[in-house]
Amino acid sequence: MRDVYIIGTGIHPWTGFSETVFADFAAVAVDGALKDANIEWRRIQAIMAGIFIYGGNAGHLSGQYLESIFGETGVPVVNVYNACATGSAAIRMAYNSVAAGETETALAFGADVSPKGFLTAKSDNAVQDRDVIRWKMGGMPNPIYWALECRKRMAKYGTTEEDLALVKVLMSEYGAKNPHARFKKTYSLEEVLKSVYVCDPLRLYEICPVSTGAAAVIVTADKELIAKADKPVKINATTMGSAIYGDPTIRISALSCPAVPEAPMLSESYSASRQAYEKAGVGPEDIDVLELPDNSSWHYLVYLETCGFCKEGEADKMLRDGETKIGGKLPVNPSGGFSSHGEALSAQALWQVIECANQLRGRCGERQVQGAKVAMAQTYGLMGNSGTTILSI
Amino acid sequence: MENMANKVARIPNLVDWSTGEVRLMSAKCNSCGTYFFPREHYQHRPGCSREGVENVLLPRRGKLASYTVQYYPCPAPFKTEQKITPYGIGLVEFENEKIQVAGIITNTDLKTLQLGMEMETTILDMYVNEEKQQVVTWAFQAVK
Repeated sequence: MRDVYIIGTGIHPWTGFSETVFADFAAVAVDGALKDANIEWRRIQAIMAGIFIYGGNAGHLSGQYLESIFGETGVPVVNVYNACATGSAAIRMAYNSVAAGETETALAFGADVSPKGFLTAKSDNAVQDRDVIRWKMGGMPNPIYWALECRKRMAKYGTTEEDLALVKVLMSEYGAKNPHARFKKTYSLEEVLKSVYVCDPLRLYEICPVSTGAAAVIVTADKELIAKADKPVKINATTMGSAIYGDPTIRISALSCPAVPEAPMLSESYSASRQAYEKAGVGPEDIDVLELPDNSSWHYLVYLETCGFCKEGEADKMLRDGETKIGGKLPVNPSGGFSSHGEALSAQALWQVIECANQLRGRCGERQVQGAKVAMAQTYGLMGNSGTTILSI
Repeated sequence: MENMANKVARIPNLVDWSTGEVRLMSAKCNSCGTYFFPREHYQHRPGCSREGVENVLLPRRGKLASYTVQYYPCPAPFKTEQKITPYGIGLVEFENEKIQVAGIITNTDLKTLQLGMEMETTILDMYVNEEKQQVVTWAFQAVK
């Protein structure tokens, strides 16, 4: 396998519900990536597209719809869905295509328009769709799952409501400095602790909403394109993980979980991150900046442990001691995280990769992590989906 | 037990009251020992032959392994004519079966919820359907 570099990235800033066609958001991100890479559309030899699951036929074939906007060239177009890790799957396929020598230059993109209100079941068929029972009979929107795990964590490790609120305080401080973020208001600890419970112990400001957004990444092994790119970023590893039998986490859409753990919590993310460390030849101690999936404040804490940045139960101390701040030992989510963006399913993993690339390229202005050389983007998708990307400059 | 004759689960094969007490409909793999809920949501151990999966009912009682209180009404397709919000959701552990199952908490003062407390399986009335049947879901309540 040969070395593969990110030479261009583009983002449509995260926003709320929109009537605009998702592919138009995608086009903004792809235009940005082409311009950043300083290449023409015809140089793209493969398109790895994140499926926009709420977009019907067009959303399921998002790559074809995007290609028709820029001009159809006959290149391979593959559409992929791995829940919130969809973007991880897209960049992994682009990377593999280029690293294996199948193509020189490939595009990965995702674009999602937030459905109005809550994410709910996509079908009415309880036989075929495992997701239907939890909605029709369980009364269990996604945050319920996180609250159930958070309560266990509080009992086991002494995580406090202040710890959960502190995550939001920090994320809002960084989100305010990020032009791509949807939410730019800063919050004090008191303000977060006064926000209403959505599902106790998680409060409104401690859970990320659904958003609209698009992100695109161009990768290449073409030496000429790498040479003319502005600060190309090397992909050291981009992996996908699935769950491991005996993982005690109750996964979104499931109605039960093992009572006796035989695998780590969030084992899909454990798997993805360990694969990435092995392939990249680095460990958690080598990461200068981390983007993790803070779908809720609970995620922020548990992911530090799942990915091996501290031992189980020690993440709260890392947070309280300021180790995860910009300027700390391990700056976490200088982008402001999902807390400041919200979820745009097929785009969010790519947006995390782009934030990491921008940090390594020194493009992050007020939220810049000084001297960052190695960055890691970690995703989390429902029902055992996860991806890890490690980048360096 | 109250009259269950006119009650029907919104989705079948999840909760049973034919034995005279309400119990969840699980399946057990006799090869790898894993219990599943719902029955068809298989979670076999890798390498398991998957032979000898049999339908079983979980015990009526278990212990509260986690809980939350949901403060906003659950969106559709959830449907109930009862005013249940805020409502509890519990994760109840069935120790011998090594499985925890989630469900709405009913007939219980939410302020009294504590990890480890004993819970029992019951049903919760949701709405009356076009056939005038009372549609129900499974739920958990504190053992009095």
